[in-house]
Amino acid sequence: MNNIIETHNLSKIYNPDTVPVNAVNGVDLHIEEGEFTALVGPSGSGKTTLLNLIGGLDYPTTGDVKIDGVDITKMSENKLIDFRLHNIGFVFQAYNLIPVLTAAENIEFVMMMLKKTKQERDLRVRELLAEVGLTDKSKNRPTELSGGQQQRVAVARALASKPRFILADEPTANLDSKSTANLLDIMAKLNIEDKMTFIFSTHDQRVIDKARRIVTLVDGKIVSDTKQ
Amino acid sequence: MLFKVAWRNIWRNKMRSIVVISSVAVGLFAGMFLMAFFWGLAKQEVDIAVETQLSHIQIHNPAFPDDKGVNDTIQNSAVLAEQLKKDSAIKAVSARIVTTGMISSSTTAAGVEIHGIIPAEETTISSISSDITEGSYFSGKPNEIVIGKKLVEKLGVKLHSKIVLTFQSKSGDLTAGSFRIAGIFRSRNSGFDEITVFTNSNEMGQLLGTGSAVHEIAIMLKDGKKADTIKAFYKKEYPGLLVQTWSELSPEMAMLNGLFDQIMYIIIGIILLALMFGIINTMLMAVLERQREFGMLMAIGMNKPRVFIMVVLESFMLTCIGIPAGILLTLLSVHLLSKHGIDLSAFSQALSSFGFSNIIYPELQTSMFLPISLMTAFTAILSGIYPAIKALQFKPAEAIHKI
Ligand SMILES: Nc1ncnc2c1ncn2[C@@H]1O[C@H](COP(=O)(O)OP(=O)(O)OP(=O)(O)O)[C@@H](O)[C@H]1O
Ligand SMILES: [Mg+2]
Repeated sequence: MNNIIETHNLSKIYNPDTVPVNAVNGVDLHIEEGEFTALVGPSGSGKTTLLNLIGGLDYPTTGDVKIDGVDITKMSENKLIDFRLHNIGFVFQAYNLIPVLTAAENIEFVMMMLKKTKQERDLRVRELLAEVGLTDKSKNRPTELSGGQQQRVAVARALASKPRFILADEPTANLDSKSTANLLDIMAKLNIEDKMTFIFSTHDQRVIDKARRIVTLVDGKIVSDTKQ
Repeated sequence: MLFKVAWRNIWRNKMRSIVVISSVAVGLFAGMFLMAFFWGLAKQEVDIAVETQLSHIQIHNPAFPDDKGVNDTIQNSAVLAEQLKKDSAIKAVSARIVTTGMISSSTTAAGVEIHGIIPAEETTISSISSDITEGSYFSGKPNEIVIGKKLVEKLGVKLHSKIVLTFQSKSGDLTAGSFRIAGIFRSRNSGFDEITVFTNSNEMGQLLGTGSAVHEIAIMLKDGKKADTIKAFYKKEYPGLLVQTWSELSPEMAMLNGLFDQIMYIIIGIILLALMFGIINTMLMAVLERQREFGMLMAIGMNKPRVFIMVVLESFMLTCIGIPAGILLTLLSVHLLSKHGIDLSAFSQALSSFGFSNIIYPELQTSMFLPISLMTAFTAILSGIYPAIKALQFKPAEAIHKI
């Protein structure tokens, strides 16, 4: 199969001059198209740091990250922003949405940046809201949505640009078990039906159980990589 | 969409935005009201000068203004005056004898400018007849003189007192004539009141030996704004005569108007500078407290030009809401005050001795709204730049994880 993401000897050292922290330490990770991967490990093991490096939100100290064969660690900051817009979907733990925009407008915002026509935008927004089961909440602002609903809008927003893959850093950390299950079901469905590749970090065993590949980090190193 | 986001962002902290909008509105109001006040002052001053002494256009013998010679009269002045009266743009014409001389009472003497006028004609052109406070404006008796209140006090005379005018006649001899004070006037310009006296022109013509010839033809127009074009016309028509508008006769007064303009723009500039710091402060707060949001926006692909434009737009919109509010406030207050004016009696002594009126009627020039709005909008954009640069410095990976 086809590797979407390849990291080679990827390392990130925070505060190299004062108190160096080897947050990610020589990681070689390959992710194939269509995978549904959980990144697990104790707190401080480097999950967030690794996701940031893969998503081009930060530069590594050494090593590289290739996305579809393109090394993104060599890109300028401005080029990276554009690359992220076109290729990567993000779902964060919280503060995913623009508070002054409605659910529909939050999704549309990404498509505006991609310069899609009004017609295209309207169609896709409706499609995406339906996919995450929030058609009736399209005109609600984030504050008028539950935590689970907000995360579902975030997933829909991440999908808006038809990215190569979606990175989700503890997307269910703030959710109750019902909303967690619901969000995971939606992600799993998108993975199976649309072949959308997901990489998500989590501490939640029920979330880990739904993953088909589990990568475990300890002290910035991959200690196990299993498929289930 | 960027507009929509920026607009809604303004209203996230309503109180803070309202404070900025109000300060812009009040700042602009203060500046524009001050302008209206001074324009009112300047316009009134011009009106007074035009009504009491200058009129819109004056015609002289070109040699007259330099030494006010008795012989420097206008050729065929009677014919000319009749011709002028036929012009439909001209409201009134007054032909005057003008000469300098000495006025003496039994106790003291003073230098004056003597205006020999046809009383009925002068009434149509100047406000003197309505400024009479004692006695009457020429009753028709011989040797009457109308003088200012200020001069009456200086000479220590009363209504109906006898005074003597001494001046040089056409032949160069010193001539004197005795007159009786028929009326005392008090115009809004006490300087004018102190040096100007009015007599009958036929009596003055006899005493001077100039007969029916006059030195000055004063013209009042139906529309004062046409002074320049009408002047140009008569200047061509009578190349041998000196035709001048009020602003040429009193260039310092015309200059005063322009000076007020400049001072006012400087004041507006200072107000805007002060407002700028308030806007920067507010925008900086708004940006810093949304650090995580900016991090998220850049993470999902909002590029730097867009982030920059969004912040500057917020600053721009926030400020620009204050502009119409400021204009409205100015229009309203000027409208209210233009009826009753602003009474400055407390300072009136000083003001009226400069020829200013006691009550100022603020006068709006709507043409100032555009440049001031543009200046404010420019300030708004300028104020947004620093906060926008701050927003660009956030690193998405760090900003998102800031608690
Ligand atoms: N900006 C930073 N500056 C310095 N050290 C950092 C920074 N971000 C993370 N670290 C450190 O790097 C290590 C890895 O952090 P990271 O956030 O990647 O772990 P994590 O696995 O995501 O933890 P958690 O499960 O708590 O989210 C930790 O020791 C952390 O203290
Ligand atoms: Mg983490």
